[in-house]
Amino acid sequence: MKHTAKICFQLLLPLFITTGCWNLKEPDQLAFVAGNGLDLTQDGKLEASALLVTPSGIGGGQISGGEKKESFHVMNTTGKNVSDALANMQSMISRVVFAGHRDIFLVGQKLAEKGIGDTIDPFMRNAQSDMRAMIYVVKNGRPQDVFSSEPFFDPFITTTLSEEQEAIGLKPYLAREFVVDVLSDATQPLLPAVSLNPSKQYSYSGSAILDKDDGVKLVGFLDKKESNYALWITNRITSFTLTTYVPEGGGDISLTIDTVGRRIRVKQIDEMIQIDVHLTGEGAIIENNTNLDPSNRKDLLLIQEKISQKTQKSIQQLVKKVQKEYKMDIFGFGESVHQQYPLQWKTMKHNWPKTFPTLHVSVKVDLQCRDSGLANSSLNRR
Amino acid sequence: MKLSETQLVWVIATTEIIAMIGLKITPAIQIAKQDAWLSMLVGGIVGLAITFLAVKLSILHPNQTLIQYSQELLGKWFGRLIVLPYLLAWFILPAILLRSFADFIHLVLLNRTPVWLIILLFIGLMTYLTYSSGISGIGRYCELVGPIIIITLLISFLLNLQNIEWHHLLPFYFDSGEVNILKGSLAPAFWFSGPFVLLVIVSFIQTPQKVLAKSMLGVGITVFMVFASTLMVLLVFGPNLAAKLKFSYFVSVRTIDILSFIQNADVFIMFIWVFGVIAQSSLYIFIASYETANCLKVKDWRKIIWFGIPVIYIMAILIPDETAITLFDKFWTAVVYPICGILIPLFLLIITSFKKKERIKPI
Repeated sequence: MKHTAKICFQLLLPLFITTGCWNLKEPDQLAFVAGNGLDLTQDGKLEASALLVTPSGIGGGQISGGEKKESFHVMNTTGKNVSDALANMQSMISRVVFAGHRDIFLVGQKLAEKGIGDTIDPFMRNAQSDMRAMIYVVKNGRPQDVFSSEPFFDPFITTTLSEEQEAIGLKPYLAREFVVDVLSDATQPLLPAVSLNPSKQYSYSGSAILDKDDGVKLVGFLDKKESNYALWITNRITSFTLTTYVPEGGGDISLTIDTVGRRIRVKQIDEMIQIDVHLTGEGAIIENNTNLDPSNRKDLLLIQEKISQKTQKSIQQLVKKVQKEYKMDIFGFGESVHQQYPLQWKTMKHNWPKTFPTLHVSVKVDLQCRDSGLANSSLNRR
Repeated sequence: MKLSETQLVWVIATTEIIAMIGLKITPAIQIAKQDAWLSMLVGGIVGLAITFLAVKLSILHPNQTLIQYSQELLGKWFGRLIVLPYLLAWFILPAILLRSFADFIHLVLLNRTPVWLIILLFIGLMTYLTYSSGISGIGRYCELVGPIIIITLLISFLLNLQNIEWHHLLPFYFDSGEVNILKGSLAPAFWFSGPFVLLVIVSFIQTPQKVLAKSMLGVGITVFMVFASTLMVLLVFGPNLAAKLKFSYFVSVRTIDILSFIQNADVFIMFIWVFGVIAQSSLYIFIASYETANCLKVKDWRKIIWFGIPVIYIMAILIPDETAITLFDKFWTAVVYPICGILIPLFLLIITSFKKKERIKPI
């Protein structure tokens, strides 16, 4: 009887090997997608674009003679929805599209203005989808223009874009975090945006505010500085540089902040919700054009106070602007209320988009100069 | 056939952890949201209580399996009748398990390989494992792969630490409330102790002194691992997204990215998934065959395998789609488990204690 079992097992062995062939896909049969973009065409059709990697173009080997091939290829197709457009794309190329290494999603401004709510589903549903991909909105542009641009460090722009956020001191905003925000009770998504900079390169240029309650539609943009402040409140920034004019010293001071903290306190006073935002930062002085001497305690305290005050004012203005102009809770205040007053939140939840613009928000900024670099008083003045 | 006490611990843990992490986390999160981890703990306590009941009953009938002592207690015909639902469950469960797992592999890994072939491969391995050495082989197998499963899971938790965000767990308790937390704990509670396998496998242990403590330990390990996985899923995705992901733990492992160097750790999860499913299905097939043999008074239980395997294979292929599996799951939690897992064992336990008293009286 044991013999029969052994034979049974041995008969099955070949199957183990053959299944490998069944599903075999050699890399040269695949078209690797490094980035996908979505936009609307002139006549309002959904358009998908893809940056396909051309492996023979990036190979570092010593190929003598012949022209150097492009390292990538950009394709555009239209369709009824995302998958339809991508299927149309597949029908035009000789290799099987493989999205497992997709780093970047780009959303064109035109599509963002119409709303991207209907395009999220396939990216979570597709079993190939990379959970580490990032998402950007293309400000004043189309995804295919970004993909076609020639970056100066990398063979193609998706690598540049996926490394940029970390390089400039932001916590990378992943596509899956965007989905979390869209599904959340109150937080409105704040997507990083790319646009053409003066040196004709596409790079990070602030963030886009979207309205998840209205088809994830684009509401407006924040510039880089405003984004930094907003990301400070949402705890998505790791370091940034502040330059402030100090009137008492008659010049500018630059502070690079590398330890940031934030605390959001919700207070309820007579049925009214009040939000206290307390932001802290520690950093080093990297430029001093004032006649103050940071090694002097009195001057240092003055510098800290002035920079904190100025920053506090700017952030208060930003919060006001977002409340009045965009009316979108990108700061996650609703989530703070949810966490700190869970029972009251149940009734407030439905009315939150209307409550947010009228919310009383107080901002307090505490900046500290931990060190002042290698010099004490400014090298420019006596 | 023998089973040592250490093996019992691993048999319980290996056969439950994988199935529960794969299939029970998302439903619990759908009901209890960010408090699903609490549901798992509450479910764990209920699971331990049910385990206690099953093991207690088995200890009272040393070296006898469910079918033997139910016949002794209730008579030949009624004893057999009462075991019928168990046999059905033990035959249907591996079919469902294999099908849902094969569908999963088909989805994420071998999308060009037909599902029937994937199932056939698993069936082949399980037949080999069960046929060659029965429960002692399964025990040894679990003793081997159980620690691997647990270590792999623990490493995956550690690697995912950089993706976690604590605020996903807030607010604690108030959003779901005790009703939803209890509701969410129901399905896991009925899985932690396994589908009544303890009523049978305890009889294979030669020295059942510490069986109760050991089976509690096995279920305890399972509860902890499932609890920790639920916590990880919640911390990585938050309750809203996790509730929409079918295999949420698997997807959460895909988010691991350490210095753009350690990525795609889901490969390892795939391995332990296979280990777990093989262990689980083999155990059910073994118990189904063994108990059917006992019921039909067939001397050699191995003969039943040749009849049982094709039945299971055909059932697995005939399942139309996953909605049928979801439906069965609901039926399982609402009807099958309360009857077979709690009521019948309780009934048998009461009868046992009465009979014992009667036996004492005449003396």
